[in-house]
Amino acid sequence: MQMRTIEISVGAFVLAGALALVFLAVKVSGVDLTASRDTYTVQARFNDVAGLRERAKVSLAGVTIGRVARIEADMNYGEAIAVLELNGQPGNLPLDTGARIVTEGLLGARYVSLSLGIEEDYLTEGDMITDTQGALVLESLIGDFVTKMGAN
Amino acid sequence: MIEYLRYLGAEALDFLGNLGRASLMWGRALSGLPRWNDIGLLMRQIYNIGVLSLVIIILSAFSIGAVIALQFHTQLAKFGAEDAVGVGLAMVLLRELGPVVTALLFAGRAGSAITAEIGLMKSTEQLSSMEMMGVDPLRRIVAPRLWAGMLCLPLLTAIFNVVAIYGGVVVAVEWLGADPSSYWNGMQDVVELWEDLGKGMVKSVFFAVLVTWIAVYQGYDTVPTAEGIGMSTTRTVVLSSVMVLATDFLLTLSMYGDFG
Amino acid sequence: MVDEKSSDNLIEIRGLYLKRGRRVVFDGLDMSIPRGKITALMGPSGTGKTTLLKVIGGQVAPDAGEVIVNGLDVCRASRAELFELRKNIGMLFQSSALFTDMSVAENVAFPLREHTDLPDDSIRDLVLMKLNAVGLRGARDLMPNELSGGMARRVALARAIALDPLLLMYDEPFTGQDPIAMGVVQSLIKRLNHAFAATSLVVSHDIHETITIAEQIYIIADGKVIGHGPPDHLRSHDSSLIRQFVHGTPDGPVPFHYPADELNFDLLGEVSG
Repeated sequence: MQMRTIEISVGAFVLAGALALVFLAVKVSGVDLTASRDTYTVQARFNDVAGLRERAKVSLAGVTIGRVARIEADMNYGEAIAVLELNGQPGNLPLDTGARIVTEGLLGARYVSLSLGIEEDYLTEGDMITDTQGALVLESLIGDFVTKMGAN
Repeated sequence: MIEYLRYLGAEALDFLGNLGRASLMWGRALSGLPRWNDIGLLMRQIYNIGVLSLVIIILSAFSIGAVIALQFHTQLAKFGAEDAVGVGLAMVLLRELGPVVTALLFAGRAGSAITAEIGLMKSTEQLSSMEMMGVDPLRRIVAPRLWAGMLCLPLLTAIFNVVAIYGGVVVAVEWLGADPSSYWNGMQDVVELWEDLGKGMVKSVFFAVLVTWIAVYQGYDTVPTAEGIGMSTTRTVVLSSVMVLATDFLLTLSMYGDFG
Repeated sequence: MVDEKSSDNLIEIRGLYLKRGRRVVFDGLDMSIPRGKITALMGPSGTGKTTLLKVIGGQVAPDAGEVIVNGLDVCRASRAELFELRKNIGMLFQSSALFTDMSVAENVAFPLREHTDLPDDSIRDLVLMKLNAVGLRGARDLMPNELSGGMARRVALARAIALDPLLLMYDEPFTGQDPIAMGVVQSLIKRLNHAFAATSLVVSHDIHETITIAEQIYIIADGKVIGHGPPDHLRSHDSSLIRQFVHGTPDGPVPFHYPADELNFDLLGEVSG
């Protein structure tokens, strides 16, 4: 086997491997390569964020406009605070925008869905969304249902 | 009873002795980075170990990706959650199957080849004559193989993952009619760079060191007969496989320990 | 540290002791190998003659004793010193030990490439000259698996002389060869020793071939030297062991029968058992 052929195939192999890694990072793990986009952060307070992961998407009417940067526990009130990183500049979302935690499909991942409010002032960096609805936990739903049925 | 304890004791000492020799071999072979002149040797080994393993890796990856996508789809359909096939497949591959299966295939194909090669060189006194000529066989024969193995396995794992995911795409999207955008988007939303891909590649690096080390040492330590070479080659495959699986268990526990 | 005083003998071995497991391989071995001559090491199979060559080359470390090669004590030498020494030693292994993934020419070029900075042209010329010395210049592009045993051995010899060594060691060069091949090897050993003004050490148990070329013979048995001297001296030696060896008598101090009970008892035992 000629040295030249070996060198070429080794080079191709290493290149293929590197490309595979890049592919996995970008297409599969969803790493955002245009990271130098403008973003601003707001917070949302939920009574229950069960199943919501960091890096889950934040969407408005089905369009992804940001990601969940961090999820923290508020020890004082026993609630959860989700820090949302939204794309673009502040000035699109009214102060009374609502945030709900919903599930993709029936058993899919949880994400945050925003619905526009009607106020004239807009959310800026560091503001808190208060109109929230936490994750629907299947067990409590069933529990409620059973209780209601029992009451009838 | 005493006899049995004595036997165990002897085996334990034997094992320690082997481990010691293997460590010395590793240390001496890798002390000092490869010389520029040795690049040719390294290239040839990357070719033998990596490029020639591509066929089996790609074929296996495609089949495994396709089969798992099929199985997942069947099960998830019961819950109406077929769209999660992509996510499930990607998670399983990146975290477990990619690194582990690639390592096992690698041990069988490349590992056994390395052991047989070195074992044969030992049996025909090629290693001895090289030493007599003042050339260190550890530098010339063992080191290039160690470096090549450690480099090739992670790359092969990445290629395995990609091909397997595409195998899944073929089955899930083309055949079973899942929605391509939910296949990929679901993946991108859930799969994390470090948690899933990163830790999987770390596992792969661990496995690379382990399998290559075992393969080279078994060859170097062969009993120099035809029988001896056969035994060493078998031992490489068996020992590598067991160690990969055991290490995977430990790594998974420590990496993803919080199964809450 | 090179000590030029004992320049008559290339190799001095004093009190060599080596144990392998329970077996004592060498038990106080003393030997002096003179410069510029062909010395033969002979003895019954399994007395560790090959191991002795490895000790001289510094590959095997003895448990005790001194092995001084060209003024350097190989048992206590550093890796750098051994490296230098090995450039001056050429060894022919029993199995020829050619590198199977390289051609004949590349095999012979190997020591030149590793130890010198010569340009490719010079190396090519040297390789051709060495191959010519063993009569295999035309086979330079063959691969080792295409060679017959005798040819492989000659290529290995060409490789061993690539760096014009001081010491040439031959491990069983006559074993398993047809008479013509043996004649070739014999004449090569003599010619090369003369041409390079080298010292040759031949390990063999082929009495007839070795006696023809050796100027000095050492006979080793039970880990010790039991006789040494020029060939004629040994043919009529006092020791019956040596005489048995030299004349190839089947029974004598080295017995024909493996230790066992008397034949009658054995046969009777089977029947009545």
